[in-house]
Amino acid sequence: MHSILAVDDSASMRQMVSFTLKSAGYNVTEAVDGQDAYEKTNGRDFDLVLTDQNMPRMDGISLTKKLRDNPKFKTTPILILTTESSDQMKQAGRSAGATGWLVKPFDPAKLLEVIKKVVR
Amino acid sequence: MPTNNANDAETTSAASTMPLMAAADLQDHLMTASMDLDRLQTLLSDACDTLMQRFHGASEHIRTLREHDHTGEESDLVFNDVMQHLGGAVTALQFQDMASQLINHTHKRIRSCVDRLAREAFAEEEDGEVAMEEIPLRPNPVTQAEMDVGSVELF
Repeated sequence: MHSILAVDDSASMRQMVSFTLKSAGYNVTEAVDGQDAYEKTNGRDFDLVLTDQNMPRMDGISLTKKLRDNPKFKTTPILILTTESSDQMKQAGRSAGATGWLVKPFDPAKLLEVIKKVVR
Repeated sequence: MPTNNANDAETTSAASTMPLMAAADLQDHLMTASMDLDRLQTLLSDACDTLMQRFHGASEHIRTLREHDHTGEESDLVFNDVMQHLGGAVTALQFQDMASQLINHTHKRIRSCVDRLAREAFAEEEDGEVAMEEIPLRPNPVTQAEMDVGSVELF
């Protein structure tokens, strides 16, 4: 079973993402912001990180950069799921090492399709 | 009978008092709007919590029914149909996150107006400078006007 780290400061978003992923058989760990997520990667492996962008303490792009600095997460798919849709932000995500950029709201079937495509 | 000089003084005093009164009034309205937004945020959050509970309750119930009911193809069709509806609800239920971000952003903008009013209109009234921290306002992160499914881009 693949394990996914789902990061969002909104409790309702975490619930919707977890519901979708668990329904499809994924093992989900939740984090409330980038800092919490980074701490949860300590000593643990994840097959995918799905993170929001705008969060307190550490945002999604900063989390992506920090994870990419860690050899363990060098190739782990990181998807940013956010309300932000500007090209400038997408470019920043891409430069940080994100695998993809998904704009909210997400459609469960579409999200699962993307995850299936990027998780090895 | 008042002299011209007295008239001038009265006019000057009214001119300097009026903007201050208007500024105070404006500040009052902005503070009220800010508090109303806080209430709206709480209302939304409360409503969303209830919706989530009901949503999870309903989906759990459907799964249980599914596990105990193996009547065949028709049942599968109904189940798939229900799951599709739940998928639509998952998309719609993300409104709370987006609405909350919009409210937070508007709240910050209003507070920044209140602070600016305090700094520029009332600074001379105070003993010293009014020390306010300027919050840099970035563009609103939520640009969506509908709950349509967002785009997907793989790099």
